[in-house]
Amino acid sequence: MAEGEWEQAPVRKKHLDRNSEGTDDRPLENGMDEEEPNFSDAEDFIDDVTDDELLGDLLKQKPSEAVGIDSVVVVDNIPQVGQERVSKLKNVIRKIFSKYGEIITEFYPEENGKTKGFIFLEYDTIENAFKAAKNMTGYKLDKSHTFAVNVFSDFENYGDIPDDWQPPEKQSFVDHGNLKTWLMDPDCHDQYSVIYDGGETTAIFKNTPSEGVLVEARKRWTETFVRWSPLGSFLATMHQKGIALWGGEKFVQIKRFAHPGVQLIDFSPCERYMVSFSPVLGVNEEPLAIIVWDTRTGYKKRAFHCETACQWPIFKWSPDGKFFARLSSDLLSIYETPSCGLLEKKSLKIPGIKDFGWSPSENILAYWTPEAKDSPARVTLLEIPSRKELRVKNLFNVGDCKMHWQTQGDYLCVKVDRVTKSKKVQSCNFEIFRIREKLFPVDSVELKEGIIAFAWEPVGSKFCVLHGEPPRVSASFYNIKTKANIELLKTMEKKQANSVFWSPTGQFVILAGLRNMNGYFEFIDTNDMTVMNSREHFMATDVEWDPSGRYVVTGVSWWSHKVDNAFWVWNFQGKLLQKCAREKFCQLLWRPRPKSLLDKEQVKEIKKNMKVYTKQFELKDRQNLTKASKEQIEKRQKMLTDFQSLQEYLEETYKGLKEERLHLRGGVDTDRFDSNFEELEDEEEVEFFLGEEITEIDEFEYE
Amino acid sequence: MKPISLLGHERSITQIKYNREGDLLFSSAKDTSPTVWYSINGERLGTFDGHGGAVWCIDVNWDSTKVLTGAADSLCKLWDTQTGKELANFENGSAVRTCGFSFSGHDVMYSTDKTMGRSCEVLFFDTRDQSQLENNSPYMKITAPDSKVTSATWSNLDKELISGHDNGALCLWDLKTGSMVEEIMEHTKGVNDIQLNKTGQLFVTACKDSTSKLFNATTLEHLKTYKTDRPVNSAAISPLYDHVCLGGGQEAMDVTTTSSRIGKFETKFFHMIFEEEFARFKGHFGPINSVAFHPDGKSCSTGGEDGFVKINYFDSQYFEFDFEV
Repeated sequence: MAEGEWEQAPVRKKHLDRNSEGTDDRPLENGMDEEEPNFSDAEDFIDDVTDDELLGDLLKQKPSEAVGIDSVVVVDNIPQVGQERVSKLKNVIRKIFSKYGEIITEFYPEENGKTKGFIFLEYDTIENAFKAAKNMTGYKLDKSHTFAVNVFSDFENYGDIPDDWQPPEKQSFVDHGNLKTWLMDPDCHDQYSVIYDGGETTAIFKNTPSEGVLVEARKRWTETFVRWSPLGSFLATMHQKGIALWGGEKFVQIKRFAHPGVQLIDFSPCERYMVSFSPVLGVNEEPLAIIVWDTRTGYKKRAFHCETACQWPIFKWSPDGKFFARLSSDLLSIYETPSCGLLEKKSLKIPGIKDFGWSPSENILAYWTPEAKDSPARVTLLEIPSRKELRVKNLFNVGDCKMHWQTQGDYLCVKVDRVTKSKKVQSCNFEIFRIREKLFPVDSVELKEGIIAFAWEPVGSKFCVLHGEPPRVSASFYNIKTKANIELLKTMEKKQANSVFWSPTGQFVILAGLRNMNGYFEFIDTNDMTVMNSREHFMATDVEWDPSGRYVVTGVSWWSHKVDNAFWVWNFQGKLLQKCAREKFCQLLWRPRPKSLLDKEQVKEIKKNMKVYTKQFELKDRQNLTKASKEQIEKRQKMLTDFQSLQEYLEETYKGLKEERLHLRGGVDTDRFDSNFEELEDEEEVEFFLGEEITEIDEFEYE
Repeated sequence: MKPISLLGHERSITQIKYNREGDLLFSSAKDTSPTVWYSINGERLGTFDGHGGAVWCIDVNWDSTKVLTGAADSLCKLWDTQTGKELANFENGSAVRTCGFSFSGHDVMYSTDKTMGRSCEVLFFDTRDQSQLENNSPYMKITAPDSKVTSATWSNLDKELISGHDNGALCLWDLKTGSMVEEIMEHTKGVNDIQLNKTGQLFVTACKDSTSKLFNATTLEHLKTYKTDRPVNSAAISPLYDHVCLGGGQEAMDVTTTSSRIGKFETKFFHMIFEEEFARFKGHFGPINSVAFHPDGKSCSTGGEDGFVKINYFDSQYFEFDFEV
């Protein structure tokens, strides 16, 4: 057997002769049978079996360094005792500290026959060590001994900090380009995001009257859903590992925020901060559930525990993004930015507080508390940060309250369910707070029926209420007159509706019967209270107004309904413009627009010159329309000429096969439908009999 | 347009066909009585009695003398149109799914289902040869390779056969040799129907994947696609205009779980060349299983899962309508 043949010898043998270390080239050759193979490695042999693969089970048992250190706590301020009392001390300490887990080892350093005053305890797990460190710090053993407990690894963590502070290196500025490019569209076409293919594909479209023009489409852009930031600068995509923000003309990635298992997202109204929520529990005591981020730097501002709140958003932001607040039992915690610390370092104690909401325009918040023993239910307007109570309104027989701020912050409506003593809902009141008038006067509107929906006109002073019991639903429109009563504009009866969608610019409103109400829509102009159009998008689940109030989209989302997934684009008058059927369409969101830069004067000026602009736009619309129909016709013409050449060819071949056809059908020409009619000599007459039946009706005789 | 409703069948209609002159309308249903009607007023002329199971398919030859039916009782029967007498009875091991007369009217073909351990076969008989009819001995047999035949038609003046399969495949067979010439996968689900145009040079398919497609019958070249949002059960090409008529709707087994409106049991009209839908009408309260144009192109009939056959004479608007080109 030649030596060379063994050079590629079996791999798994290195460990068999580890002791020989391969120093001897041919350890087995001496005096051995020639048939006995050589087990040692060739010199150029490279072992490709890892230790893990070979003795994985043994390696698992190998103690790791981290386990040892992390589960050790250091306790300071232990009484210094002599030899004779050490065992007694140990008993006391053991008794106190074993509450947090099994103590594996303990070590009492000694000096001059006395304990040094600090000890080391090792717990069975890291978690228990952390628990002990958290709970036992500040434990008073006696008057002069208060424990200070630290996790041993902290010494390492903090010990390494250099004494000289080094200023952090300046990070180079990354220019993401203009994040507002979509606003520079010459025709002011708005954009919208669409998720379809059951979530596989996300696309951004530009809305034009005739069709959606694709801007960007990506596969698996998000794992669940997307969100636009409130001013439209960013598109947030949700992933298992965190959130990504995209923006700019080409939708490049702008920032990433690592938050494993993230499920919910919210932005501050100014876009500066973002809040994310993940139900994944952290290992340590460090909170991970809710994180407040700085969208510009991508840094974590502060993390919070979720506690029990099951409502999203947990944090409600003040309109300028300076404050955010959350509710817990009997407490209202207001935090301020950028520090993300509690405002004035403490939460507001409000016994029984049920709900609160910020005004969308000022730093005022409203909250309500239910009836307690001797005090009535109460709605309070609070100014932040001064914490001044601007207005308190007492209410009686309150079952539940819902607060609705008008989008401009001009009014606050509190819907109050009045109950009788037996807790039966009796009627419903709307308490309307006028924020812009002196002393915040409150008006009340009472409705005896069940309330299905309530919505403020976003710009203006009207609101719409759906009330009644389905299928007998009525829609009532009210108007608030300055320094006068609230006026009922009109009640429309027998409406097939369960939701109200106001145009973002006011005046126009859609009464929608979503889902089980079959997707029935009524487009209403509230200036003269006329129904402009009644249409249907069967089984529609969503309604989305575009930010300009010119278009509205109705959709059947795959998330709630499995067939006919599509979105339809309408104009504000209820004229159907496009039907876009997308396989497994899930969600459509309009890209929000920032507030207009025009001041009131400029808006007035534009309104004054409306006629001039109207003419320009109408001309443009007409041009676009003729262009579109021209394109369509050109397309058809091309299809027609293409097909005609095939038809001509087919016709030729058809003529050529005439002989064959005649042959197959025994000489009868059947090429034309009526080709044989002349040849038929004996005409056949077909008579149809109309059934005739005579039934005599006897008069019934009654006894 | 008010349709004539033909109520005679007790169960779902499976196929309807006009004869060449268009005076007679033949229908088969899941009951056991294939029926012939006067197309002019919807009067029932007679039934062909003898089957013992759902009748899946029906065809009439060009001079309307014979009728061919295939049924779930594994029988394919040849009838005399005028008398309703049974001329031949072909026995098989599994249900007969689709059948057809050749252009000449002499030959017949039918396909059997792939069930009960039987493979799917297409069998050919010459009706002039009594021994073939009596002994149940086809002059040719084609075995479909993997997916069963769900629809088929003679093509190219009896020289070829086009078959549509359960997996969406379309196959072209040479009938001299009995071998497959071409196989294409333009559809993703079962091809429910194949109908030739007037000259037999183009054909239109109806597919469960909610589309219908137009092909060149000689080359199997895919020419046009008509998209809908429901499975298409049947499609026909107008002999008068460049129009295609599609019938279908949500599958009957899914309908009960949803609202009846959601089924979309509508007959839709597409422009054959522009692929644009321009008209549709309702009429059935179940999926439409079969559509057929009258040979003059002035009316069309539909047969539905609801057991009705409806003859629809077109309004004047249909004849006036034209696409802007």
